[in-house]
Amino acid sequence: MAARVDDERDTTNGDHERAARRAGWRLMYGTVRPQMGWLLGGIGAGIVWAGAKITVPLLAAAAIDQGIKTGDGTTTLIWVLLAVAVGVLQALGTAGRRYCAFRISLRTEADLRHRLFARLQQLHFAFHDRAQTGQLMARAVTDIQQIEPVVILIPLSIASVVQLLAVAAILFYTNWVLAVLALGALPLLNFSAQRFTRRIQPVSLHLQEELADLSGVVEESVAGVRVVKGFGAEATQREKLRHEAESVLDRSLAAARLRAGFLPLVDFLPMLSLVVILWYGGHQVLAGHMQVGQIVAFNFYIIMLIWPMRMFGMLLAQASRASAAAGRIDEILVTEPEIKDRSGARGLPEGPGELRFEGVSFGYGGGRKVLDDLDLVIRGGEAVALVGATGSGKSTIARLVPRFYDVDVGRVVLDGVDVRDVRVRDLRRSVGLVFEDTFLFSDTVRENISFADPDAPMTAVERAADLAGASGFIAALPDGYDTVVGEQGFALSGGQRQRIAIARAVLAEPRVLILDDATSSVDPTKEHEIRAALREVMTGRTTLIIAHRPATVALADRVVLLDAGRVIAEGTHEDLLARSPEYRRVLAHAADTQRDVTGELEVAG
Amino acid sequence: MAAAEHHEEKLTRDEARHVLRRSFSFLRPYRGSVIVATVVLVLQTACILAGPALVGYGIDAGLNKHDAGALNLAAGLYLTVALLALILGRQVVWLVSKIAETFLRDLRVEAFRHLTTLGMDFFEREKTGQLVARMTSDIDALQDLVSQGLVSMGQNALLFFGAVVAIVVLSPLLAACTLVLVPPLVWASAWFRRESNRAYLNVRDRIGVNLATLQEGLAGVRVVQAFNRERAWTRRFYDTNEAQFDAHMETVRIASKYFPAVEFTGVLGIALIIGLGGLFHDMGWGVTVGTIAAFVLYLNNLFDPIQQLSQQYNTVQSAAAGLHKVFGLLDTSTHIDERRDAVALPETGSLEVDHVSFAYGVRGEGEGQGELVLHDVSLRVAPGERLALVGPTGAGKSTLAKLLVRFYDPRDGAVRFGGVDLRDTTLRSLRERIIVVPQEGFLFAGTVRDNIRIGRPDASDDDLDKAIDALGLRERIDGLPEGLDTEVRERGSRLSAGERQLVSLVRAALADPTVLVLDEATSNLDPGTERAVEQALEHLTEGRTVVVVAHRLSTAARADRVAVVDDGQLVEIGSHDELVARGGRYAGLYASWQAGHAA
Repeated sequence: MAARVDDERDTTNGDHERAARRAGWRLMYGTVRPQMGWLLGGIGAGIVWAGAKITVPLLAAAAIDQGIKTGDGTTTLIWVLLAVAVGVLQALGTAGRRYCAFRISLRTEADLRHRLFARLQQLHFAFHDRAQTGQLMARAVTDIQQIEPVVILIPLSIASVVQLLAVAAILFYTNWVLAVLALGALPLLNFSAQRFTRRIQPVSLHLQEELADLSGVVEESVAGVRVVKGFGAEATQREKLRHEAESVLDRSLAAARLRAGFLPLVDFLPMLSLVVILWYGGHQVLAGHMQVGQIVAFNFYIIMLIWPMRMFGMLLAQASRASAAAGRIDEILVTEPEIKDRSGARGLPEGPGELRFEGVSFGYGGGRKVLDDLDLVIRGGEAVALVGATGSGKSTIARLVPRFYDVDVGRVVLDGVDVRDVRVRDLRRSVGLVFEDTFLFSDTVRENISFADPDAPMTAVERAADLAGASGFIAALPDGYDTVVGEQGFALSGGQRQRIAIARAVLAEPRVLILDDATSSVDPTKEHEIRAALREVMTGRTTLIIAHRPATVALADRVVLLDAGRVIAEGTHEDLLARSPEYRRVLAHAADTQRDVTGELEVAG
Repeated sequence: MAAAEHHEEKLTRDEARHVLRRSFSFLRPYRGSVIVATVVLVLQTACILAGPALVGYGIDAGLNKHDAGALNLAAGLYLTVALLALILGRQVVWLVSKIAETFLRDLRVEAFRHLTTLGMDFFEREKTGQLVARMTSDIDALQDLVSQGLVSMGQNALLFFGAVVAIVVLSPLLAACTLVLVPPLVWASAWFRRESNRAYLNVRDRIGVNLATLQEGLAGVRVVQAFNRERAWTRRFYDTNEAQFDAHMETVRIASKYFPAVEFTGVLGIALIIGLGGLFHDMGWGVTVGTIAAFVLYLNNLFDPIQQLSQQYNTVQSAAAGLHKVFGLLDTSTHIDERRDAVALPETGSLEVDHVSFAYGVRGEGEGQGELVLHDVSLRVAPGERLALVGPTGAGKSTLAKLLVRFYDPRDGAVRFGGVDLRDTTLRSLRERIIVVPQEGFLFAGTVRDNIRIGRPDASDDDLDKAIDALGLRERIDGLPEGLDTEVRERGSRLSAGERQLVSLVRAALADPTVLVLDEATSNLDPGTERAVEQALEHLTEGRTVVVVAHRLSTAARADRVAVVDDGQLVEIGSHDELVARGGRYAGLYASWQAGHAA
């Protein structure tokens, strides 16, 4: 019973995989098609190259048989000069086909990566919640690398097919029995190259995993050196590493065994052909059926076919990986952004910034309800604090306003219009949001603040920084507003980052401002500076504040207490403090888990 | 600029010699295998090189003289050497891989063993990423060389010289004329290597920039969308992506000049051999048709190795640079050593900090010359006492904690336990008496049991159960997916932050130290786990001497005494009540904290 279920799953997986591969091939074809000119050029140059390459041995054979063997120096010279001329053609052909092949593959890489990035930029938050940055990076880097070699090989192998057919024709025309004998071993080369590539892939994958495990041991020992040293666990970790190093050795030797089976065979199979040519061909010459020069030409041709045969083997083995990789990329490219303008979407009408949540229910990915039939009205220009335990839905409320997510049931209305009927660009321009975890880009402070409007004048940037209480520390940075921050730049404290994020939101002069735990890392004693500034920002602007610190919550005109996605109490801070035990409990817990000694001493010291 | 970077990868002659000498010392145990592998490689190359000569013999002695016996002999011999080359070839690949892979294993084990003996100062000075890279990607770079390059490099060199010898023996005159083409090919290959190196360094930079844009665009996608910047960022990525494409195309252009030139040289070689060979044949200068055929076949063995060696030169260079870094790590000496006459610490006693001053610094280059982090600090913790260290970040309280467990030695003064200077004790007894529990519960990949036993690998399951029960964590541990056998994955990522802390507390309990140095956790836990951690800590600290680096005033308030450290000095010390009553620094802090939370 269980086995049958598994079978069924395998079949559906298999079907899915086949469909993904087909989509992958379609994607590769679609990306290469606009470069048809380069492709045809590459194939043309390849045919010239193949033709020239095939002609050289014929000329050499003619020189030997008609010139050297008859002692006719002039004939030898003519054939030799012809060979040099054809050599020039061969060189031009190889230049052309290489250039075209690589250009197509690099272009394909760049185009795919660009399309992938553009699509990812448009995809909704829910998509990015499911996909991890690391996985998306793998799509854009590793998967595209899988596709490249196959694309390179397409024009190259078309020319090689021509070459192979021409060589076979010449050999069969010269002496078909010898041709069969000489070429007989070569398909084995193709076959074994294919088999080798297929067998070495899982082994090298396994080796990569073991190497990753090994570096995991190194990494944890270095990162956790305080534990290792503190507990005297050096020997334990050394034993672990030795174990991993042995595994790596085992895997490497498994790979070496495969290589030892394959590489010498690559040398051997053509040699076998050469032996056959020498022996059987030699007897044909003795019997007067063939010329010595033709034997030499046969030798040439066999050597000439070694590389194309190996290449076909690799191409066949790589093709399945490439189509699977392309299929994974295609999956992202065909995902449609869920949050987009409805047909007939309009601009946001002028208004005071009145927000209404009407019977709103919502769960991430359609899962557990985070908001449950929520009704809430925030008047234009009003400042409201949302307070609640972790998971009560306060951040979710904030994310529904700029349509990072759409409600499941009910509607969110801004100045009388359902947010889903407004153009997304207009909506988001009117809503400024400061996220819980502030993300700054590796750019200058100025570029980070003017993110929403890169052309904003310096005065606007400075004013935004003032309002966010950030201008003080910005002035003290090494290059002031031109200091590069973010992951690769100057390391700012959490509170400083938050203040820059507030400035970024303020610069856009939004109608609705949402501060999601936006001051949690700001030093408590510095927060009062921001508080004064925030009060000014909030004047005449609808503001949603999500916070724990009593002093910040007190900035709001009204406090809304949430639990399990519903409003359970509202009123002023003092009012709730006086009459809601639940409210006191939430604030007390938040206060208890905050760092305080360190933060305040930093100021004192 | 690119040229300067290019030189970074290169080693000086002395460095290269050093790397070579050290490598040989690692290979010494495998001397015998190295000799066997070399002999087999030489034999195999000889077999491959015999082929064209046998073809030449077959043509001259067999075909031209109509001697079927000689033809059969040549073909038979050719088949024999081909088979020999196959058999020997398998041995070569296998033997060389085995030696080289074993060498890498020894290098990994030895480098790591050395790493674990280095002092704390080393780990705090070096960036984690760079250290890990030295042990991993630098050695992995060698792996590529070993698996793909080593055999073919040796063979290429042998093939080239063997082919030169073979053609010189066959016909010195024609050989001289053929070898004329070698210098231009060598020059072209050197040009190609230089140019493509330069171009690839540029590609590497562009890939780095492009990846950074990609990474940031993905990590910050929510901010980008919140501010309507999707198009601008897509445009920005387009630019870096195209820059990568352009840089790559430069390498294609360089290759598109080199490879055609090489192919043309090949054709020119054939033309030269046949044209001049024919001329010498007519002149009767000892060149036969068979010789010409053999020459043409040898041409591949002359030209291919030159191309391949010039490309493998790069691999060798980066491998040598990698080895150099690994050996550099092996040559780093350690700070915290055990004295030869070290004694075991007594079972109990008070912990005493006696006029300790300390500065971070590098041994040899201005050791302890850095800014003083601790100035003349003295304090004493009685057996069973609980002391809280309080102070701003950078005040020196964490440094003080590190000196207590001898992660560092003081510059002046001494740290003693039971009257014995920590520098005079065995590291083993030190780690048994004094344990530090870092703020975030750090777990290693493996099971919960492995993690708990890390300080005492020989502990029995009974001991483990006792430790768990002593902390009252039986239900918590049994509640994990597979109890003690739960695989926690890298950094304990399968467990929650709170569970990681609990496991690390059991680990400390199993080690059963006399003195516990705690670095208080600052992360927010859910209320339930928070309580469990607090209760477990309560049990763990019972009856032990405790020094806690406190981040919360509530923790400090519960300690027997509080020491306020600021700017490397002990500002005040006393019980919570005393200090509050005294109205000094601590009292001020306490007042402002209360005010901030009462609002």
